[in-house]
Amino acid sequence: MFKKFTSEDVSGQNQVKASVQRKIRQSIADEYPGLELVLDDLLPKKSPLIVAKCQNHLNLVVVNNVPLFFNIRDGPYMPTLRLLHQYPNIMKKLQVDRGAIKFVLAGANIMCPGLTSPGGVLDDEVGAERPVAIMAEGKQHALAIGFTKMSAKDIKAINKGIGVDNMHYLNDGLWKMQRLD
Amino acid sequence: MAEKPQPVHVLYCGVCGLPAEYCEFGPDFEKCKPWLIHNAPQLYPDLVQVSNSKEVDGVSDQLQSSSITDGTGPSGSSSVPKQEPVKRLPGGKIKKKERQEVIIEKVTRNKRKSITTIKGLELFGIKLSDASKKLGKKFATGASVVKGPTEKDQIDVQGDIAYDIVEFITDTWPDVPETAIYFIEDGKKVPAA
Repeated sequence: MFKKFTSEDVSGQNQVKASVQRKIRQSIADEYPGLELVLDDLLPKKSPLIVAKCQNHLNLVVVNNVPLFFNIRDGPYMPTLRLLHQYPNIMKKLQVDRGAIKFVLAGANIMCPGLTSPGGVLDDEVGAERPVAIMAEGKQHALAIGFTKMSAKDIKAINKGIGVDNMHYLNDGLWKMQRLD
Repeated sequence: MAEKPQPVHVLYCGVCGLPAEYCEFGPDFEKCKPWLIHNAPQLYPDLVQVSNSKEVDGVSDQLQSSSITDGTGPSGSSSVPKQEPVKRLPGGKIKKKERQEVIIEKVTRNKRKSITTIKGLELFGIKLSDASKKLGKKFATGASVVKGPTEKDQIDVQGDIAYDIVEFITDTWPDVPETAIYFIEDGKKVPAA
């Protein structure tokens, strides 16, 4: 999704009103309970919260010029990888095997066999259409943020085709955009 | 208040910007290697072993050679296109006339709108005001003669017309060979033919 993404794709950014700000905070807090304690540091109540609108109904939540979260249409907010690296335990994790890393880093969606093979790890509690962190065999840090297409049980049962949509991965456009001015 | 989870500090590669452990999958692992040996030896024990076996000189050689390739890589590629503008610009008018070429460049304006600029048509003895009128008529957009950055006139045509301007130029003015038309893409000159 962010394969080709530059600051040119941001069609407009504006400071949102307090009520919208509250709503964003609330939905992020609901989605990531582990983040609750640091949410005040991430999204300080005082400093302005900016929402940047991009193409394809994409929104970026920007604080102090740093993109922190993104969502599509009214979908769940997902952290950027830089943020996820700092707080790795806020999301459910799925792990792909080593052979898949190359493809995921090129932007490919995550196929079921990469998750079910010996190198992969599935969290049975993950339902369909949830944001997840994609980890890799033998690596400490997440390499992508995904959005599950089917539940973990289905991934195991079907074991074919796309299991997780690749939303945001290392070295894509959003990754390279460390600051948004 | 309960204790806050501390942010994890992640080691990012100084060369490619990825977390160091993903360098091997990054765009240019070779260039990252010296940095990795220096900063994250525990992640790639193989690399360190290789460099150790080559002794210290080997490492410095490796560093040097990589920096040399770094240096020669871009400069080598840039020196070729650099020579051409050097010939054209300070060389004066005589040399300009020697190198007859039309340069087409797309400039983006307001994100979604673009302007196509055409430079060098006058070198073929074409009247720019006539040319701009023809271009405007053909593409049904505004086209005007504008004073270029280096006192050279250029034609600005509204909209992205790079796709069929080449054909139009060669059709309307037969003296302009297709080989003399160049596009500028990402700062590089690309022949249209």
